Amino acid sequence: MKFTFNPSPNYRNEQSTSAIMKDVGLCLLAVDLYAVIYYWAVYGAQYGMRVILLTLAACVSALATDAVFYKVLKKDVVTEMKSSFSLITALIIVLISRINTAYYAVVISTIIAIFFGKLVFGGFGQNIFNPAAFGAAIIMGNFAGSYNADFATGATPTQAAKAFGWMIPNGQFGSFISEYGNLGTMFLGQYTSTIGSTCALLILLCCVYLVWKRDIDWQTPVFYIGTVFVEALVIGLMHGAGLQYALFSVLAGGVIFGGVFMTTDPVTTPVSLPGRVLWAIGAASLTLIIRDKSNLSDGVLFAILLMNMLTPAIDKLFDGNQIKDAAKFRRNVLIGGICCVALTLLVGTSVKSKAEQEASETKESAPASAAAPADSGASKEASFGEALPMSYNFNANKASCELDGKEGDTIRYACEAKGFGLVTNADGDYSLNKAMVVVDAKTGKVTSVNIIEFGDTAGVGDAATSDAALAQFEGKGLDDEVNLVSGATFTTRSIAAMAQAALKTAAEGGE
Amino acid sequence: MSILTGPMRFHLDGQKELTAHKDVLTLPEPDDLYIPLVNGRAACTPTVKEGDAVKVGQQIGEPSDAFWYVPIFSPVSGTVVGIEKRMTSMLKPGDHLHIRNDHKYAKVQSFKKLDYEKATREELLEFVKKAGMAGLGGAGFPTFNKYTKPEGIDLFIINAVECEPYLTADYANSMANAELMREGALALLKLSTAPKGKIAVKEDKKDLIEVLHKQFDGTPIEVAEVPDIYPAGWERTLIYMLTGKRYDRLPAEAGCILNNVSTCIALGNALKNGMPITDKYLTVSGDGVAAPQNVIVPVGTPASEVIKACGGYVGEDCLLIAGGPMMGRTIPNDQFVIGIANNGLTVLQHREEFSVKCLRCGKCTETCPSGLMPVRINQAEKAKDIDTLKKLSIMDCIECGMCTYICPSKLDVTEGVRRAKRYMTLVK
Repeated sequence: MKFTFNPSPNYRNEQSTSAIMKDVGLCLLAVDLYAVIYYWAVYGAQYGMRVILLTLAACVSALATDAVFYKVLKKDVVTEMKSSFSLITALIIVLISRINTAYYAVVISTIIAIFFGKLVFGGFGQNIFNPAAFGAAIIMGNFAGSYNADFATGATPTQAAKAFGWMIPNGQFGSFISEYGNLGTMFLGQYTSTIGSTCALLILLCCVYLVWKRDIDWQTPVFYIGTVFVEALVIGLMHGAGLQYALFSVLAGGVIFGGVFMTTDPVTTPVSLPGRVLWAIGAASLTLIIRDKSNLSDGVLFAILLMNMLTPAIDKLFDGNQIKDAAKFRRNVLIGGICCVALTLLVGTSVKSKAEQEASETKESAPASAAAPADSGASKEASFGEALPMSYNFNANKASCELDGKEGDTIRYACEAKGFGLVTNADGDYSLNKAMVVVDAKTGKVTSVNIIEFGDTAGVGDAATSDAALAQFEGKGLDDEVNLVSGATFTTRSIAAMAQAALKTAAEGGE
Repeated sequence: MSILTGPMRFHLDGQKELTAHKDVLTLPEPDDLYIPLVNGRAACTPTVKEGDAVKVGQQIGEPSDAFWYVPIFSPVSGTVVGIEKRMTSMLKPGDHLHIRNDHKYAKVQSFKKLDYEKATREELLEFVKKAGMAGLGGAGFPTFNKYTKPEGIDLFIINAVECEPYLTADYANSMANAELMREGALALLKLSTAPKGKIAVKEDKKDLIEVLHKQFDGTPIEVAEVPDIYPAGWERTLIYMLTGKRYDRLPAEAGCILNNVSTCIALGNALKNGMPITDKYLTVSGDGVAAPQNVIVPVGTPASEVIKACGGYVGEDCLLIAGGPMMGRTIPNDQFVIGIANNGLTVLQHREEFSVKCLRCGKCTETCPSGLMPVRINQAEKAKDIDTLKKLSIMDCIECGMCTYICPSKLDVTEGVRRAKRYMTLVK
């Protein structure tokens, strides 16, 4: 009889690290499966297949990187890979990419994520940065132009919100979100954004499952998502936006997906519960600050990466005895949390919606033109600003055309479109802009644009209706561009929308 | 705020069904017994010599220290062979009094019975001291020392929780000797000067709870049910669960005195029958022994005899643990003897473990009953970071094993804390 010696204890719980990773992996696959089904059903088999192939590409790259690395280091490849858990990273990278991300971008980002984000640190358990966030940041940073145009699905909610200055006043919220349905359809994932981040319902169910199985703690996701909500609510209220805006901020972008699958990465977040709560509040605050103030449309990934850098410091802050130092830890969380939230709200005071920006622009040019006669603006000088491509997404203007007459290749369309007043739901007496657009069906170019009815701000928007302003449309096709009229950008877009609608209708050969 | 702290406890699978409701086996007495002359820090000089005849209950050892005072008595009748050095269950060599059993079980009454109700506190205290009462929960602490100068005690606690997995010895002992338990408990309550007491028992032990109610309803001791978690039987956790108070060094700071239920039973036996601790209830359990069950063994029985009586070993490679698997020590042979502080022999078949790297999940930190951060302690120990180690209050670790139990990466977390403790004492 052999009596083995082993220091106490000699009893272990069943739950193992592989079991935890398996659960997380299953949840990620469920989200991936939803994406496959959604894209297949709404956009067709090609799109659905693309999700599957992107997933496979990432997974194979991850496993290959592991295998090559450990082979080169002359370690037992199978044993090392069994405890490396790289497929989790691969799945996350796919789910935070877009459907039109190029295959090579996903592959390279996965390889970089696994190699530089994990293996060189010493493998699983030793990395500082969330490998998937690290890899995705590489895609965004370096392969921004690599999108496959065949698979375009429109702007993501965060990109659209960015165009709006990340502040959508209550009155304009309805028309803004109509692009994506409403908050309900967003919650159910009936729109496109990054591949995995749309179905909030599914992701939250995964969160409940993982917490119930004791795979993750509930504090991190709740405090991350909750803080984003509360901070967005307060910032919104400061600018006349309400609950809808706050809910949109949580549903748009990677807040819920990142909150459930990336902030809960135990390796890169603090070890203690108060540390995690403070980390989550910090990450939420950075998410909103990056959204509001930087060039990026969504702040989740970089917020996570920045907080990853602070994890060792936060760990040190909460070293001690949880019973004896309980009061100290509570105090640290409170002070740290309040500082983060205060900073975010401070930054939030300077957030301006696009409408507010435009209004302050027009207010500046209004006094100059008040002296001029307030007729249809034919005598006003137009000064031109930024370029506006004729292929621009004028969805908001809801332009429509009716065939007015046809002489050979010359086709006349009576068009109408929403302008400043109706797009932004502004207070006042606004109506649709109406114009007669004449196009040459053979060359695909505009012959002339004439205003029939002007429905925007008198004395302001009509700068875009001057002869010079309308003349810029002559000879322009869908591939060309015009210029925005300074101080009358909304009206310019409204007219351009009508011209675009006319050109498109003519190109499709019809009415 | 429980948002910021974990539960500092966990429900373990107690494996109690292996032995709890089986008949208790009274072990056929071995031919040779080796009574330990040292029980923890309480050492005795023998009062008999080679060739002397001894009877059951006869005092055979007189304590050599005034504080660590636990006199020992013979559990069998027979002849003294001599003093031998053997390895103890503390993994240290110690003197044992070798007695050859004559199997006649000739008895002598060790001391006069005492009616605790009629005796004065001083008489009762002296009785407890001279009767060799020691903490039978496993520590073997001289019981009388807890009661020399009780001040500001408002709660006397009897620990019948037995949270260590596999062990059901206290449970079997309580079910069989409920009257003696009552006697001893009320005597200790008197010694404690507390106005009231609580007997703590796990809420899932319905039959024992019924027995306890029968014994204690109407007395100042009430039955307190505690949840089935580990380590509910640890002094600090139990006192926190019953009173909400935490203390620094001694339970008296929280106004409590605590004793194990088997200690109460032993005292009850001494008061009512004038007999000392001669036999122990022992749980023999685990997948490495053929017939797991509770046994009653005389003190000084070699472990090998006990295992033999329980059907022998299963398998080729086992972990022979003196105690339960969480806090008990593995012993590299079965020649050690059962002492007064042993409650169990857990034999587990040895299986290799596959461990991965620490994923910093924090479960060890959330379940540590002392509120420590074992993962940080392990990290600091690896880096030999003394400053961080000083902040992490590592000396509060009682090596309960919870961190290793819960670790999903199957690491030896407790061992890392032990290394840190050793390192700290070296560096200091």
